[in-house]
Amino acid sequence: MTTHAPPQTSHAAVAAVDLVKVYGSGETAVRALDGVSVGFGRAEFTAIMGSSGSGKSTLMHCLAGLDTATSGRVLLGGTELTGRSDRTLTRVRRERIGFVFQSFNLLPQLTAAQNITLPLDLAGRRPDADLLAHLVRVLGLGDRLNHRPSELSGGQQQRVALARALVARPEVVFADEPTGNLDSRSGAEVLTILRDSVRDLGQTVVMVTHDPIAAAYADRVVLLADGRLAGEIDKPDQVSVTDALRELAARA
Amino acid sequence: MRATVLRTQTAAAARRPGRLILTGLAILVASFVVFGTVLVQQITERTVRDNLSGTPAVTDLVIGSPGEPPPTVADVRQIRAVPGVAEAVARASAGISVGEGYLNLQADPGTGPLSTVRLIEGSYPDQPGEIAVTPRTAERLGLSVGTTTSGTGGELTAPAALTVTGVVETAADAGYDAYAPDSAVIAWARLTGVERVDLRVSADASTEVVRQRVSAAVAGQPIRSGAEVREAEANAAAEEVGRLFILVGMFVSIAVVAAALVVTSTFRIVFAQRMRQLALLRAVGASRGTLVRALTAEGALTGLVAGVVGVVSALALGYALPAVLRATGRAVSAPGLPLATAVLVVIGAVVLTVLAVLAPALSAARVSPLEALRTASTTAGRRGIGVLRLVGGLILAIGAVLAAVATISQLPKPDQSSYDPAMPLLLLVGSGALAFFALVALGPLLVRPVLAVVGWPLRQLGPLGRMSVGGIGGAPRRAAAVSVVVALGTTLISGVVIGGTSLQVLADREMALAAPTDFEVTGNGATLPPAVVSRAEAAHGALARVVPYRKVDDATLLRGADRLGAVESGYPMSDLDVAVLPSTGDLDVAQGSLDDRGPGRIVLNSWVARDAGLRAGDTATLAVATRRVDVRVVAVLPGDGPLHAGILADPADLDRLGVPSAYTGLLADAAGAGEDGRTAGVRALRQAIAGSDGVGLTVLADERDRNDALVRTLVWIAVGLVSLTVLIAVVGVGSTTALSVVERVRESGLLRAIGLSRTGLRTMLTVESGLYGLIGASIGLVLGVPYAWLAVQALGIAAPLTAPLLPLAGLFVVLVGLTALAGVLPARRASRVSPVVALGTDG
Ligand SMILES: Nc1ncnc2c1ncn2[C@@H]1O[C@H](COP(=O)(O)OP(=O)(O)OP(=O)(O)O)[C@@H](O)[C@H]1O
Ligand SMILES: [Mg+2]
Repeated sequence: MTTHAPPQTSHAAVAAVDLVKVYGSGETAVRALDGVSVGFGRAEFTAIMGSSGSGKSTLMHCLAGLDTATSGRVLLGGTELTGRSDRTLTRVRRERIGFVFQSFNLLPQLTAAQNITLPLDLAGRRPDADLLAHLVRVLGLGDRLNHRPSELSGGQQQRVALARALVARPEVVFADEPTGNLDSRSGAEVLTILRDSVRDLGQTVVMVTHDPIAAAYADRVVLLADGRLAGEIDKPDQVSVTDALRELAARA
Repeated sequence: MRATVLRTQTAAAARRPGRLILTGLAILVASFVVFGTVLVQQITERTVRDNLSGTPAVTDLVIGSPGEPPPTVADVRQIRAVPGVAEAVARASAGISVGEGYLNLQADPGTGPLSTVRLIEGSYPDQPGEIAVTPRTAERLGLSVGTTTSGTGGELTAPAALTVTGVVETAADAGYDAYAPDSAVIAWARLTGVERVDLRVSADASTEVVRQRVSAAVAGQPIRSGAEVREAEANAAAEEVGRLFILVGMFVSIAVVAAALVVTSTFRIVFAQRMRQLALLRAVGASRGTLVRALTAEGALTGLVAGVVGVVSALALGYALPAVLRATGRAVSAPGLPLATAVLVVIGAVVLTVLAVLAPALSAARVSPLEALRTASTTAGRRGIGVLRLVGGLILAIGAVLAAVATISQLPKPDQSSYDPAMPLLLLVGSGALAFFALVALGPLLVRPVLAVVGWPLRQLGPLGRMSVGGIGGAPRRAAAVSVVVALGTTLISGVVIGGTSLQVLADREMALAAPTDFEVTGNGATLPPAVVSRAEAAHGALARVVPYRKVDDATLLRGADRLGAVESGYPMSDLDVAVLPSTGDLDVAQGSLDDRGPGRIVLNSWVARDAGLRAGDTATLAVATRRVDVRVVAVLPGDGPLHAGILADPADLDRLGVPSAYTGLLADAAGAGEDGRTAGVRALRQAIAGSDGVGLTVLADERDRNDALVRTLVWIAVGLVSLTVLIAVVGVGSTTALSVVERVRESGLLRAIGLSRTGLRTMLTVESGLYGLIGASIGLVLGVPYAWLAVQALGIAAPLTAPLLPLAGLFVVLVGLTALAGVLPARRASRVSPVVALGTDG
């Protein structure tokens, strides 16, 4: 395990170069990201791990064009995202990126089906009927499509969000603690679906998690500490991830 | 615990005064309107009092009062002789008919402190038979200094000469005013009594002593002090203002009810937003009662702040406005400082807000502690309504329908002679109120069906439209609460518009009949010299249209040998051709058709038709003296006939009936517009009449103008008052949108995160707020139009039902536009928030 892998920005689906994000200014300034350079390969399932407040969510928001970095660059499939207008970033999010958040993923007034096709609706595109049918079947949402979020369990809501993120065939799917609110069985379902979408559909997935079991589903784990890259693990399993985290905690 | 809960809730309110004002905005506006109305009433009353032009201020004593036997001419002489009386002026008046028209001759000394006129030309009359006229009178009647005419009036029956010696200015110039000293008026008009005597006491005498002397001199005559009389006059004027403001108060109370509804719905939204926080408090052990008390306290605080701000701003405006108006040269008095009323309004605002907050507070406190554990995405608003509310709403709706049916059953039948509109109108108002409260109760159920119809075109516009419609449909209670207020405003305004249009049509019809043209020249019973008609017809420059006619007053209708109807003297009949006058050309008819007129055919007014028992299509015999003609009734008018004619017949039939061919009168229109055109027309006709004795000219247009202005003023006042409710409705939509934007900031964040652009979000929220207006205005029109029609019918004034499509469509568009506009600012703010911040907001 090395602390500084050179960023594979050239063939990466999405990459950060010397990314710095400072919240606030003066005395109270917080360096949430302190020069992060990292790449995420195509058709790869990457987990971002690190202690609370280490900058995981911030990194993800910057990579996804939800937030703008203080300095450094973000490249999405070779497209520069840094310094782009809100209009461009909005279009990028709509057409090239999918999201699954920890909570509040769905609009309460829309049905599950409407929530799934919402980004495509916004883009004025028709969903790929085969893909949609496939996702609905795999996610087991067949009999829940006309329900509203308030009539769905937490796991079902998360799966609807997953279907929404995947149905538009985005270049990258970002998931911020997608299993944080779920029991282990529902969590395992969601993670399996994420991994299968990488294997079967060639989807690129970046996931933030605290859970070594969840991280074990990924192809690679990237570790963050105090806004800096603190190592990575290839082909992680539960044991190697737990060890790495323990080591990280000891160093701090 | 209690204190803590109270502190968490009120601290939240105090930390964000902007939010507090936003929540109470409707109450603020209502307090402003209520207190503003109080101030405007004071301003009006004081202005009326201060600018009263009645009894001159220097009058010390007034002898004689209405309702008592008036002072006689001998009394006047006695009063003048009383020692200590500096001046005594008899107030008397006489209606005089002169060749040129009508004059109201009034007694006035012409000089001195008791005079109410000011000489501007010639000299003031001092002999019987001399008069001074006002400028407008001089213009209208063609009088000038030196003109001599003759007339009869008062107790004078044989015509006597009148000479104009001067022109005077007065406070109000009606266009038929003449003045002369009391002695001259009394002598010329042979008056035996006067209305009253105004008296000034000389400087060296005591008013009380003079009063006793006068009282002894004219025993039995009531004596009042000048101040007393002025006070009574002022009170009478103020009472009129008061009556007007009772009406205003009615509209203001509707606005206050609207404000209460709006504030209820805003609180519902504010509390829904805090659901998780409240659930958390419940979870850690706060009781329901504690929550209700805390939330109600917050409501009271909101009411207090809104009430104070509203009252203070009304006060500021109430003092600024008269000052500004005075600066532009208008005599407007400042209001007083009604502190007690101000406090009362604030207390009212607090009470109203507490009442309004109660229902939302109770339902918010019912939150289950579990709610705290749920994610925000699952706490969508409840969709349906409770059973109790449903049953209550249905009962109200049934009540409204029953009351409406009862109203319909009491509507006046055609030909019904006596009709009392009080009961049906009362029933109708009751029905309207019930319908409105039914709407409040059942609103959430109506939102989706109405939305399905009015939202259809929007849904076709793509995902944004669909989401706006979905956003509203997803929270029907919120949508209903706001839309109902818009609906109330729309109902009232559309009612006023429709009622106003009906009244206008009615007034137009009446005016077309009573004043079909600008001028009328009549022979006053005799025929017009042919030269008058030909000279008038030749005056093309000043007169646009000259229509001579014949009129007889003793036409009768017979069937066989039997005379029809109960009227002894016969019916007035004219051969005026209604088709040539623009005002009567499109007269509406109750039966038959005006197009069928011609020789042997007659048109009846409604009264003659009823009296003679004839309908359109019947045949009868028309008779004047001994000559007869067989005729058929082709049309019956809904009311009176033009120039009050009971029968309109063809000129050929009048010839056959032996009516002399000389015209008895003529109608004419001015060629030019405005006062100048009218004056030119008057001059031309006066020249045409010149020298023909007994021929009189009437300016019908003046009466028509007064009526038009009256109807227009009434409609505008009503629209203005009703707009108060609309203002509150728009404020309600604005604050609701603003609050619901805050409430749904995470939703906005999510939408932005998955790719909705700023413009898209802004559009969506603006459209949503416009949709509140669309739903409300639709419901309002659906209710307002039938109710307005019923109201017009229930008035029993035979006004036609109108559907002024253009104004109604305009109203609809304006309301929807206004409500959309109310959403623009909140939508802008929402679209500015970064998606990350929005998603991170604690919901
Ligand atoms: N809007 C903000 N303003 C100021 N500081 C912020 C803001 N958002 C995040 N931070 C700070 O930036 C640092 C990184 O935050 P971030 O949310 O990325 O952490 P995280 O790794 O996702 O933590 P967790 O595992 O708890 O979600 C933290 O110290 C946090 O306090
Ligand atoms: Mg995080």
